[in-house]
Amino acid sequence: MSAADNTTAPPSQASRRLVFNILRYNPNDPASVPHMQAFTVEEADSMTLFIALNDIREHQDPSLQFDFVCRAGICGSCAMMVNGRPRLACRTLTRDLPAEITLAPLPFFELIGDLSVNTGKWMRAMSERLETWLHAKESEIDLCRIEARMDPDVAEQIYEMDRCVECGCCVAACGTAQMRKDFVGAVGLGKIARFRLDTRDARTDDDYYELIGDDTGVFGCMSLLACHDVCPKSLPLQTQIAFLRRKMAAQGLQGLPVVGRRLTSSTC
Amino acid sequence: MKTVMTDVLVIGGGLAGLRIAIAAKKRGHEAIVLSLVPPKRSHSSAAQGGMQASLGNVAKGAGDNEDVHFEDTVRGSDWGADQIVARMFVNTAPKAVRELSAWGTPWSRVRGGNHEAIINEQKVTLTERMEAHGLIAQRDFGGTKKWRTCYAADGTGHAMLYTTSNQAVGSGVDVHERTEALALIHDGERCYGAVVRDLITGELSAYLAKATAIAAGGAGRLYSATTSAIICEGMGHGLALETGVAPLGNMEAVQFHPTGIVPTGILVTEGCRGDGGLLRDVDGERFMPHYEPEKKELASRDVVSRRMTEHIRSGKGVPSRFGQHLWLDITLLGRHHIEHNLREVKEICEYFLGIDPAEKWIPVRPTQHYTMGGVRTDHTGQSPWLKGLFAAGEAACWDLHGFNRLGGNSVAETVVAGMIVGEFIADFCDKAENAAPFPVTLAREFVRREEAKLAGILDGGGSASAFKIYAEMQEAMTKHVGIFRQGDDLLAGVECLQRLLAQSAQIGASSKSRAANPELVTAYRVRRMLKVALATAQGAYLRTESRGAHFREDFPQRNDKDWLKRTLSFWPDEAADLPRFEYEPLDVMKMELPPGWRGYGAKNYIDHPDTPRRQEEVDGLRKQMESQGRFAVQEALMPFADKLPASLTGRNERLDEPLEDAQ
Amino acid sequence: MCIIPRYVAINDGARMSSETIMIHAGLAERPRRSRWPARLDLLQSISGLLLVLFMFGHMFFVSSILFGETAMWTITKLFEGYFFFGKSYPWLVSCIVGAVALLFVMHAMLAMRKFPINFRQWRTIRAHAKVMRHEDSTLWVWQAYTGFLLFFLASAHLYQMFFWPHEIGPYASADRVWSDGLWPFYIAALLAVELHGGIGLYRLAIKWGWPNAPRAALRKVKWALTGFFLVLGLLSLGAYMKIGHAHRDHVGERYTPAWAAEQDAQREGRQ
Repeated sequence: MSAADNTTAPPSQASRRLVFNILRYNPNDPASVPHMQAFTVEEADSMTLFIALNDIREHQDPSLQFDFVCRAGICGSCAMMVNGRPRLACRTLTRDLPAEITLAPLPFFELIGDLSVNTGKWMRAMSERLETWLHAKESEIDLCRIEARMDPDVAEQIYEMDRCVECGCCVAACGTAQMRKDFVGAVGLGKIARFRLDTRDARTDDDYYELIGDDTGVFGCMSLLACHDVCPKSLPLQTQIAFLRRKMAAQGLQGLPVVGRRLTSSTC
Repeated sequence: MKTVMTDVLVIGGGLAGLRIAIAAKKRGHEAIVLSLVPPKRSHSSAAQGGMQASLGNVAKGAGDNEDVHFEDTVRGSDWGADQIVARMFVNTAPKAVRELSAWGTPWSRVRGGNHEAIINEQKVTLTERMEAHGLIAQRDFGGTKKWRTCYAADGTGHAMLYTTSNQAVGSGVDVHERTEALALIHDGERCYGAVVRDLITGELSAYLAKATAIAAGGAGRLYSATTSAIICEGMGHGLALETGVAPLGNMEAVQFHPTGIVPTGILVTEGCRGDGGLLRDVDGERFMPHYEPEKKELASRDVVSRRMTEHIRSGKGVPSRFGQHLWLDITLLGRHHIEHNLREVKEICEYFLGIDPAEKWIPVRPTQHYTMGGVRTDHTGQSPWLKGLFAAGEAACWDLHGFNRLGGNSVAETVVAGMIVGEFIADFCDKAENAAPFPVTLAREFVRREEAKLAGILDGGGSASAFKIYAEMQEAMTKHVGIFRQGDDLLAGVECLQRLLAQSAQIGASSKSRAANPELVTAYRVRRMLKVALATAQGAYLRTESRGAHFREDFPQRNDKDWLKRTLSFWPDEAADLPRFEYEPLDVMKMELPPGWRGYGAKNYIDHPDTPRRQEEVDGLRKQMESQGRFAVQEALMPFADKLPASLTGRNERLDEPLEDAQ
Repeated sequence: MCIIPRYVAINDGARMSSETIMIHAGLAERPRRSRWPARLDLLQSISGLLLVLFMFGHMFFVSSILFGETAMWTITKLFEGYFFFGKSYPWLVSCIVGAVALLFVMHAMLAMRKFPINFRQWRTIRAHAKVMRHEDSTLWVWQAYTGFLLFFLASAHLYQMFFWPHEIGPYASADRVWSDGLWPFYIAALLAVELHGGIGLYRLAIKWGWPNAPRAALRKVKWALTGFFLVLGLLSLGAYMKIGHAHRDHVGERYTPAWAAEQDAQREGRQ
C-alpha cells in the first residue's frame, strides 16, 4: 500500500476520437422525425458520458436533450441505452466503451425528447398504484418517546432494497414490460419486497396480493432477469422476486381445501 | 394564461419542500410542490453520512442531549447562528429522526454487545448497552463532542428522501414535476405565488397561493468544482433576490467540504473520517494532528478544508494532472465496514476513480459543498420583508448554520425546518386575513414580463453564449471566492462577475424552441445566478474579518466587535450591477452561549464589547441554578419554547433521560 | 306497430353470477383480487415441470433402442401391460398419451398468455433481444419460438401415438422414421423439445428460487442436460434410421423376440 501507485486514472494515451450515434427525436416538434445523428468528440481523461454529452450540447448542438442531476450515480436521472444496454450515463466512463458509442432513450417510458424520458411520471403512478409507503401499525406516534426498536439485520436488509434509485433501467431491460405496458416491473416488485421486509408495516401477504397478485404484478414476471443484471445498485432482484412469487403463489392456494391452509400458515 | 390556485405553493421537491407540503396537507391545506426533477432525484438524496440528532443511544453518544448539540452547532457556526433557531432545531431533531423512523426510514441500528471501531488509528472495542439494542445508531462526525449522527449506511439522504417522498405520495401531495418557477408574484409587500414554466412544453402559468415556500436547495453550481448536483443553481435564492424586497442573508458563507474526489468533485462522506478514516499527504503522512491536536481530522469542515489547503500550499500536496490533491485513507476500516457502512463511497470510488477504497487511498481536495447563506427568514421561516414568502432548508438563511454548518446538520435542518416551518405555514393559512383575494391582474403582468424575457432571449438577436458566460462565472467564483480570500482578489472577482452580468443582457439562443430547450434554460438561469454570485462575492469583499467558512487572509481574525452581524443583500434595482447591503446585528446579551473559542481552529478573535458582561451573567446564572437541572438553566438563559409550534415543544426521551410519567 | 320495450330483450339475469357481472363491468378486482392468477402461474410451472420430467423419461425409453431391438421391445411391451397381464393392451399407452396430451394442452394454453400476441409485440421483443444481447432474454425468445413449433410438432406426435399406440416397436417405429420418411420431423421435434424443456426447467429454478444456486451454475446444468438429451436423442434416431433402412423391404412386419413368439404361440394353442 503506497501512495505512489495510487494514480487517479491510467496514464493518458493518445486520445481517441469518439463517435456518438445519438437517437434524436423531439415529440414536441411536429416536423421532427426520429433519426440517428453522429457527433464526434475528442476523448479526455476520466471522461464520463455526462461530460461528453454536455460537451456536445455546449459546442455542437445546444438543442440536445438529456437528463442529469447528481452526476454521481446517486439520483438515477440519467439512465439511457448505452450500446444497447440501460445504464447510468453519468458514471459510465468513455474509456470503458469502444470508440463508437450508440445512445438511445430508455424504451417503455414516455419520451420527452432525444435521450430524455419521463421516468418520474411513471414512477409516481407506480408508487400510487402499489402504495409504496409505509402503512404504519399505529396511526399516531408520540415523537417525544424513544423510537420503536428494530433488529439491526432487518434494518440492513431493508436498506439493501431501499437503495433503489428508480432509474428505470430494470423496466427498460424487462422483456415483459416491452410487451405489456401495465407491468409494474422489477422496481415495483422490489418496493413490495422492501415493505414486506419492514416489520413496521401493517400489511400482510393478503394485502400485498391485492397489489401484485396478477399478471401485471409478480405473475407477469417471466424471470428473464435482465433487471437483475442491469440494476446499477446491484439489488438482489432475482432472489427477492422469486421469494415474492412463492409468497404470492401461496396466497393463491388460499380457498383451496387443506393444501392452501397448510402452505399459507407455514412461515418460510 | 393558465392559472393554478392552491393554499401552499412549495418551490422545490427535496426533503424540506416535501416535508412542508406534508405538514400543510395534514393541517387540511392544499399543497402543490414544484420540482425541476422528479422529487426523489433532488439533491437531498446525495447526503450520505447522516443526520444529527441527540438520541444518545450508542456508547460514544452517552450523555448527549440538546445542550451539547446546541453548543456544537453554535461553535460550528462561529457564533453566526441565530441561537433561538439553533435551540428550536436541536429540540426538534430527535423528533424528526423518530418521525422518519415511524415513516419507514431504515436507520442503521445499535447492536448490543462488543464491536470494534477505529478511533485515532487505534482499533478499540466499544461495548453497546443491551438496552440500546435495536435503537437508532449514531456515528462520529466533525465538530461534535458526541457521536450524534444517525445514519442509514451511507445513503442517509437517499433513505430519508424516499421515505418522505413516499409519505408525500401517500398523503396525496400534488407534485408538479419538471416545472420551474421563473419569478415570484408579489406587490412589494405580499407574495402571492409564482410564474411557473413547464420544462417539457414550455408553457407559462401563474400559480397563486396563500403561502409560497422556497425550498430549492443550494447554489453550489456557482462554482466549477462543487459536490452539488447540477440543479443546485441557487434559483431559489435568485427568485427572492429578484423581488428586490426580500434579502438574502450571509451569502459569503460558503462551505468547502474536505473530501470531494479529484477531478469530478463528487463527495465522499464525512462518515469516512467519522468512522476512522485519515487524511494523508504526498509522503503518506497523516498531517491533521499537527494542525488540530484536539479534533484532528474531525474538526469542523471549514477548519479541515483550510488546513488541507494550507498543507498543499506548504508543498505537501500530491501532484496530478488535475492539480494538487491529498489522500483520504479508509483502508484501515477494513473491507467489511466499507462494504456495509460505506457502500456508496465504495461505488463512487469504483466507478469514478477505478479504485477499491478498501485497498487504495482516495484522491480528495476541498470542494465547494454548501451554501450557508439563503433567503433570510425569521424563526417561523417567513421573510420579514415579504409577507407570505417562506423559505426552508439550504435555500434559507433561517439562520441555523451561521458561517459554517456542521456535517450532519443539513439533512437534519431540511426535515426539522420542514416540520417547524410547515406548521407555521399552516398557521398562516389558517388565519382569515391571509385568505387574500388572488390578484389575477398582477399575476398576468408578471407572466407577461417573463414571457417578454424569454422572447428577448429567443428572438432578441443577442450573440452572447449562455454556456460560455456560465462557465466563466463558475471559473471566476472558484478562482476569486474560494477557501482563502483576499480583498483585491475578491474585487477582481466582483468586477469579472459584473462584466459577465452586462454580457448576459446580450445572450441569444441558436435553438429557438419554446418547449423543452436546454439552451434557453441556461440562458435565463445564468443571469439570475450572476446576481446571486455577486451577492456572494461582494458580501465576501465587504466582510473584513474571518468567520467560519469565510476566511480573509488580509483579515484573519474573527472580529466580533465590528462583524458580529448578518449580511443582508437586496437587489432593488433591476438595472444595477451590484446588490445593496445591510447588516443585521446579533445581540450578544441575548445569547445562551456568548462568543468564545470554538475548541478547534485558530484561537484568534476580537471580542464584542458585550461578551465579557454576558459571559459573566451566564456563568452566574449557571452557578446559581445548578441544582435545578439543565432545563431550568436553559430556560433562564434563553427561553425558546414559545417560539416553537405547540406540537413540537415536548422534551425528548432518552435511555438515560426517561420522561416523567406525569407528562 | 308494436315496439318491444328494450328491457324485454335483456337476458335472463338469473343466469349470470354476480362475479360475471362485476367482471363485465370492469370491476373484477374491486372486492378482492382473484386468486386465479396465482393458481394459473403455479399450474403453468407444474405442468411444464411434469412435461419435462416426462420428456426425460420418454427419451430414456426411446433410447433403449441403443441396447438393441429386444430392449426397446421390452420397454414397449412393459407399457402395454404385457408383463403384467401376459397380453398387450396398447390402449394403456393411449391412456398415458392422453394424459400427457391433456397436460400439454393445458401447458400450451397457460404459456400462450406470455406470448407476443400481435406483430407490434413480436417486433418489439425481437428488437429487445437483439439490442440487449442479454443471454436470458435471448433464451426466452428461443423458448417462445420452440414453444410455438411444439404446438404443431408435439400435437402431431401425440395424435399419432394416441390413435396408433400399437405402432410402437423396434420395427414399427423404425419404419415410421425411415420408410414413412418422418425422420426430419423427429429431428425438428427433438431440437424443439430439448431446447424448450431445458430452458424451461432452468427458468423454473430461477422463477421459484429453488435450487437457490448461482445462475451461472444453473445455466451450466441446463446446457449439460440439453446437450445430453440431444445427443441421446440423435443417437437413438440414428439407430432407428439404421434399423429402418435395413428393414425397408419388410415394412409392416413387427418385431417379436423368439421366446415371446413361442410363448404367444403356446398360449394360442392352449386356448
